[in-house]
This record gives sequence, C-alpha cells and structure tokens, in this order.
Amino acid sequence: MKRNDLLTPEGTRDLLFEECAAKREISERLTGLFEGSGYSEVITPGLEFFDVFNGYVRDFPQEMMYKLVDGKNRLMVLRPDSTIPISRLAATRLRDEKLPLKLFYNQNIYMVNPKDSGRDDEISQCGIEILGGESKKADFEALVLAAKALELCDEDYRIEIGDMGIFAELMAEYECSVELAVNTRGWIETKNLPKLDEVYSSENITESDKCFAEAFRALPRLFGGIEVLKKAKEYLRGEFFDKKLASLEQLCGDLSKVVPKDKIRVDLGLLSRKNYYTGIIFRGYVEGYGQPALSGGRYDRLLGDFGRDAGAVGFAVNVEAVARVLLQKGGEKFKRSPDVIVWSETPVFALKHCSKLIAAGYCAVNSVLGSIEQTREYAEMHGIKRIDIVNDDEKITSEEV
Amino acid sequence: MENRKLRIALTKGRIEEKAVGLLEKIGYDVTDLREKGRRLILSIPNEDIEVVLAKAADVITYVEHGVCDLGVVGKDTVMEHGGKFYEIADLGFGKCRFALAVKKGTDFFAGYGVKTVATKYPNVTRNYFEKKGIDVDIVKIEGSVELAPLVGLADGIVDIVETGTTLKENGLEVCEDVAPISARLIANTVSIKLKQERIQEIVKLIEENL
Repeated sequence: MKRNDLLTPEGTRDLLFEECAAKREISERLTGLFEGSGYSEVITPGLEFFDVFNGYVRDFPQEMMYKLVDGKNRLMVLRPDSTIPISRLAATRLRDEKLPLKLFYNQNIYMVNPKDSGRDDEISQCGIEILGGESKKADFEALVLAAKALELCDEDYRIEIGDMGIFAELMAEYECSVELAVNTRGWIETKNLPKLDEVYSSENITESDKCFAEAFRALPRLFGGIEVLKKAKEYLRGEFFDKKLASLEQLCGDLSKVVPKDKIRVDLGLLSRKNYYTGIIFRGYVEGYGQPALSGGRYDRLLGDFGRDAGAVGFAVNVEAVARVLLQKGGEKFKRSPDVIVWSETPVFALKHCSKLIAAGYCAVNSVLGSIEQTREYAEMHGIKRIDIVNDDEKITSEEV
Repeated sequence: MENRKLRIALTKGRIEEKAVGLLEKIGYDVTDLREKGRRLILSIPNEDIEVVLAKAADVITYVEHGVCDLGVVGKDTVMEHGGKFYEIADLGFGKCRFALAVKKGTDFFAGYGVKTVATKYPNVTRNYFEKKGIDVDIVKIEGSVELAPLVGLADGIVDIVETGTTLKENGLEVCEDVAPISARLIANTVSIKLKQERIQEIVKLIEENL
C-alpha cells in the first residue's frame, strides 16, 4: 500500500505562487548585490561523499546528515553545508586560480532536524565566500556585504559580531579536562548563566584560575552595542586580548561608517557549533524570524584541510526564511494577476495577440477554455481585469471584468 | 506586521503560581493572571507584556521559534527536551531533583547483566548512563513510574523526586542523585538581541525580586 504518495517529507514543503515570487525576489536581490560586487557564481553537487563532511575541522554530526549509498556502496550525503564543498572546489579544480577568489552560490542544504520540531530540513541559501586575501580587509568586506544583504531583505535588521578566537585562546591557556572544555563552550553558547556561575563560582575555583573563571562568566553577558568591547577589557587582559579587542573595535568602527551604528551589535559569547570557524563570526537577525537569518565567519583551517593553505571568510542568508518574513509583512505585492486574458475561436489569433501584448509589457494569458463564458468566469476568479476577444477577422474587442 | 508586545510563556500549574507571585512582587498588576478563566493569553495592564500559559515542553517550543520572547520552565523539561535557546537565570523555585531509585535493599549496579530502567525522561536517563559509561535498556513509561520495578519490568527508575514520600510508600529508595532541578528563565536567541534593553530590564527586575 502506498501511504506516503500524497505527502511531502517532514521539514520540506511545496512552495506556491507568491511564496516562489518572494523567494525569487530575495535571491535576485542578493545575486544582484554579489554579482555587482564582482563575485562569480558556483554550483556544487547536491550529493557529496560522506568523507567530505567528516574529520576534525569539518565535523558535521552524522545524525544530522541525510545519507544514502552510491553504486559502489560508498556512503553519500545530501549536502549539509555549502562552505565545505566550496573549499574542496577551491583546493581541487580551482587549485591553479590565483587567490583571492570571490565566489557566490544559490543552493539548498539539507539536515535532519529532531522530529516534530517544526524546523526546515531543506534550507535554501544564498551566500558568498572570499578565499584568500588579506584577512582584515576580507573580513571587513564580508561584513559590509552581509549588512547590505540584510538591508536588501528587511530594513529592520541587526548584524552581530563575535570572535571564536577569544574562547579558543582562553581554553588554550586554561588547564581543564576535555569534558569541561566542551561543556563550558556549550554553556557560553547557550548563555547558560546559572550553570557558569555555579561551576566557575569563587568557591569552586583556585586563586590562579580566577581570571579564567571571570572571563567565562563574563563572555555570554558581553553583548549589546559596540561599547561592549570597552567593557570586555575588564575581563580579558593580556597582550593577545588587547590586540583582539582593538582589532574588533577597529572593524566595528569601520563598519559604523558604512552601516547605521544602531544596526551593529557585538556578542562575545557568540560561538558556532561549526568547528571550522577560527576568527570573527557574525549573524544577521530580522524582526519576525526567531532564528538567525544570516550567519557566517572566518575559517582559516578549512582550505588547509583540503590541501591548499589559505584563509577564508564567508556567509549565507537563509533565503526562504527571509522570504517568509517578507510575505508576512506585505504579501500583497507578490500576488500578481495577469493584466489581460485573450480568447478566440482561433488559437493562432489568440496567441498572436498575446505575443503583441507581452511585447508591449503586459502580462497576457491565453485562454485555453472552450467558451467565452468560461473565460469570463476564469478571469473573475483570478482577478484579471480585462478580456480581449479576437474574432475571425482578427478584430479585437476589449471587455472590462 | 506591527511590533507585538513582549511575550512571556509560563509553564501551567505550580511553576505558573510561583511565577505569577514573582511578577506581582516586581509590581506588575496580575489580576488578569489570577482571574484567567480558560484564557491562554493574558495581559499585564500598563506594561508592554503579554503572558502565555502552556505545557512545559511547549514553553520551550514557543520560545525556540521566537513567538514567545521569554519562558519560565523547569530544568527537568530543559534537560529532557533540549533545543536552541538561552538559559539565562535560575529562578530558584520549583526545587526538586532527578534521582535513580531502586527497590529497597537492592543494588542497582551489582552483577554483569544489562539493567532495565523505567522513566518518563528517556533523554535524561540516556545521557546520565552514557556519561557513566553504562549500557542500560530504557523503557518509557507514561504514568506512575514507581510501578515498573515493583512488577518486575525494570531494575530501577529515573524520576523527579521531591520529598521521597511516594518512593517510600512503594518500597523504593533513592540509589543516586542524577541532577538538581529548579525553574529556569529561558530566552529566544534573537529576541534577546533585538529587544535587548527591555528584556534586560525585566530580567534585572526578576533577579532583584527572587
């Protein structure tokens, strides 16, 4: 018995009409921005070998990947990420292309979400990668483009900046078990303040570790406007952090010259589960969507992992999520009815007239219905305001609906 | 879409009572919350806040999807359900603990055989025994878990223990504590950024009145 032939799998959906229009609108706006900024488009396969996403630097949890096998019984996955395949591409087919390379893509990723969570398993992304180049300049360009991309999606946006290097440096200096290190990272990422306060309370920590404890407790609280970076100096001391905070301040300062200052946020507790990020990471938020609409960051070890030593930075926008917000805020403008419907006894006449109308910039639909009455009914149902009837002498009469 | 009010989801029942008490202590007018009838969305007069009442796991779901900005939910549900949200404060009330309990006088860890554990919280149980490196069979029970070891379905149970009276009356005893539990304040990861000032103001008031 076929039981699933009328359904789409959980986490996927059919997109209809204005949903498609809104999605295409967003990806066209973004593509326009990226192409206009000199980025070249790439498309990577939807199917990849499991091995591409498995390793220390590229450690996608296997339970989150859709898997299948190829003809030789090798394990394959539906692409769960675009940055890793693009790094593979840069290290293989684009091996002889001089860096920096600026690439953009418009493709779906797939992931297995917990059952009944209402999250999307199929996510359409539009994003960029800057491979190579001077890292500070590339980071700045990526941030500016990210802000511009968000602005094209929705005026009410925020771009938020953090840095994976801060936590990494603290952990490199702090001596503790791997388990505690992993847990601490999770607690900071989820802003689990009670747990951090408990584990790193003054009673549980030796005098010499006090500065680490203070920093771990402070990181998830250090979010807000650019001024957060000044406050962070109280908790993050030493040459490494002085430099790090100064460069973040420079980056945010520069950004505020291009992007309204109130759109820029900082969160030093921002950590990504993706192991490949090494430097700045950033997220974009739009009002009306409960998850980040954009995410990205610097990954300096990923290309090296494929055998080409170079740093890179990139980001992706969740196109469908943004499109849904856009529809919620003003769906009407994506609903488009044809301007004219053309009916004739003689199909040749009808289509000839349609072509003329289309050439003149109208949206003209050819009626494939048998009678003019049926055509009138159809026009009314679809909100088409004008009916053109072409008679046997190719004479045209227009009717208003 | 107009900017909606700040929405707080409360777990119905005991946590709700305590949380409403807390909101009252802050100085909010909670008459609407006290005389709610069957309504599920309630407002606090003169404040830009709406209160939503939901079952524990749903509080997490609403907050995770961003349709509610803040939520008050037990750590038990946070541990069992998981999800993407920020856990920003321990509210201190609704205190109890997860514990492993067995029939009085038996040793859960004795022998080589794989043990069976009955629970309403399979994820909490799995994580606990995985961390200890012990293989166990987990059976999910919907009602009174205490019954399972008594009728011989399981060697032990992992459940919420408050006073231990139910265990005692059924001839069971706590063998090990698994984790402490109390009510938590959780926040949507985007709301806290987009409405940072307002949320921090409320969180501060809550923390001052605990």
